[in-house]
Amino acid sequence: MSETAVLSIDRVSKHFGGIVAVKDMTFEVQAGEVLGLMGPNGAGKTTLLNIIAGTYSPSSGRVHFCGRDITGLPAHKLCHLGIARTYQIPQPFTSLSARQNILVATEYGGKKAAGMEHDKIFDLVNLSEQKDMPARDLATVSLKRLELARALASNPTLILLDEIAAGSTDAELPRILGIIEEIHKMGKTVVLVEHVMKVMVEAVDRIIVIDKGEKIAEGTPGEVMKDEKVIAAYFG
Amino acid sequence: MKIPRLTTLVPVVILVLLALFPLIGIPLNWLNYLFSFFIYLALATMWNLLAGYTGLIMLCPHAFVGLAGYTMAIGTWVGVPFQAGLIAGAAVAALFALLISYPVFRMKGIYFAIGTLVLPEALKAWFSFWRPVGTAYQGGGAGYAVAGVAGFTLGDKYWLALAIAAVSIFVVHIILRARLGLGLTAIRDNENTAASSGVNIFRLKLSSFLIAAFIMGIAGAAYYIHNPRIQPTSGFNISWLLLPLMATVIGGEGIEEGPIIGAAIVTFLRFLLADYGAWSLFIQGIILVVVVVVMPQGIAGLLRQVGAYRLPLRLFKAAEAKIHKT
Repeated sequence: MSETAVLSIDRVSKHFGGIVAVKDMTFEVQAGEVLGLMGPNGAGKTTLLNIIAGTYSPSSGRVHFCGRDITGLPAHKLCHLGIARTYQIPQPFTSLSARQNILVATEYGGKKAAGMEHDKIFDLVNLSEQKDMPARDLATVSLKRLELARALASNPTLILLDEIAAGSTDAELPRILGIIEEIHKMGKTVVLVEHVMKVMVEAVDRIIVIDKGEKIAEGTPGEVMKDEKVIAAYFG
Repeated sequence: MKIPRLTTLVPVVILVLLALFPLIGIPLNWLNYLFSFFIYLALATMWNLLAGYTGLIMLCPHAFVGLAGYTMAIGTWVGVPFQAGLIAGAAVAALFALLISYPVFRMKGIYFAIGTLVLPEALKAWFSFWRPVGTAYQGGGAGYAVAGVAGFTLGDKYWLALAIAAVSIFVVHIILRARLGLGLTAIRDNENTAASSGVNIFRLKLSSFLIAAFIMGIAGAAYYIHNPRIQPTSGFNISWLLLPLMATVIGGEGIEEGPIIGAAIVTFLRFLLADYGAWSLFIQGIILVVVVVVMPQGIAGLLRQVGAYRLPLRLFKAAEAKIHKT
């Protein structure tokens, strides 16, 4: 494992009964890097995020975060250590206002150095006008932004973004790219799962392509798109 | 001099008025009814903390009531005065909650509910044959009388129950406005997101579980000071679950004033229907069904929905403004 790696996945596998969701996965994410995870539906991308964020423990293999073995640690401890995630399908605290939603993350997110002010976070994700609304009254687009806001509120080192652009119109994409750029500029490390190609190609430094739980390609966006295995996985 | 806010003043005035009742010679029956009301209120408020604010459908209040009652009753036979037994009983209830927390918190939703429901049955069976001290007080059986309560007047018991109810409401009031309340609400709304936002779910659930067990225990033990004879079938009776559950659901789950309204209705019904035996439960059941169908958020939820608090609040504010001017 190299010294600058924020995240290191070492031969990680995850089985659910007889089904193999992730198989013998190995990769590293360097500090400040934006890594994209790509693959057809059911490839194991979200399972991988769930393993990194502590929702699942891997069936085998180790996960290191900033040099520390975090395999099998519960989700709240990983949040305290500096890993935050968004959910593909927004999972807000429905009875709380948007502001209280992210207050949970700042109050319980651990004793790290103070992060961004709430107002700045809301400005960044473009949710300022709805911050006092109960989350149950927010539209899906706003809930996706709230996911981002909450992830930022715990002031993470590593942020896992699960399809934040899914369902967005083309007109909204520049804004999402801008947000990822901002997060990147803050020096945070990002792992991005995305189906929207424009986001993938423009936002990430490196892509790992997964199919049926296995890594089939790795490289810059340009390299990966030309890879025969990737083309085969997507277009059969 | 700082003038206290009316929203603080009103509960204090109500509390003082209630505390004066035994002194101004109101009928003893009333004190009895109010005693029951306070006990049910404390139980319902704690049940609401778990079900309404933490998302724990906890079905074993009768375990805490029975254990606390038994601890106090047995204590009085080995030289522990019932006043100390009251606290000891609550502590035993909380200790029991701590012991069962690890296994029951591994279950979620309906499984948690069922997991907690079987515990009082097990305790009832255990206490049916376990007799740690003394001989049977009425020709056998596993019951205990609570000794040494003769000097404790109805007024004393009334004040004790009032204090327990007031403390339970105050505790929930404080929790909801503190960091703990935010975390509990987060858990209730979405456990996964709470965990990934750094909330230690086990620890927070345990906190509210222990608080509820302790206060339910003390409320249950207080009941057995007034009715100083405990048996497995009464201490671990399922009505200790049904009362707070009905009070909370009828009054409004997850709403602070819900259990107050609900406990008042449940107490009223209990004495109104006392002479009808099994019909009483039947009628209460029908009322519960009607409330759930017609007002899913309970009476307090309906009151909030129609804005019933707006006028009194506006009057408060106007009065406050007037006081500050003079």
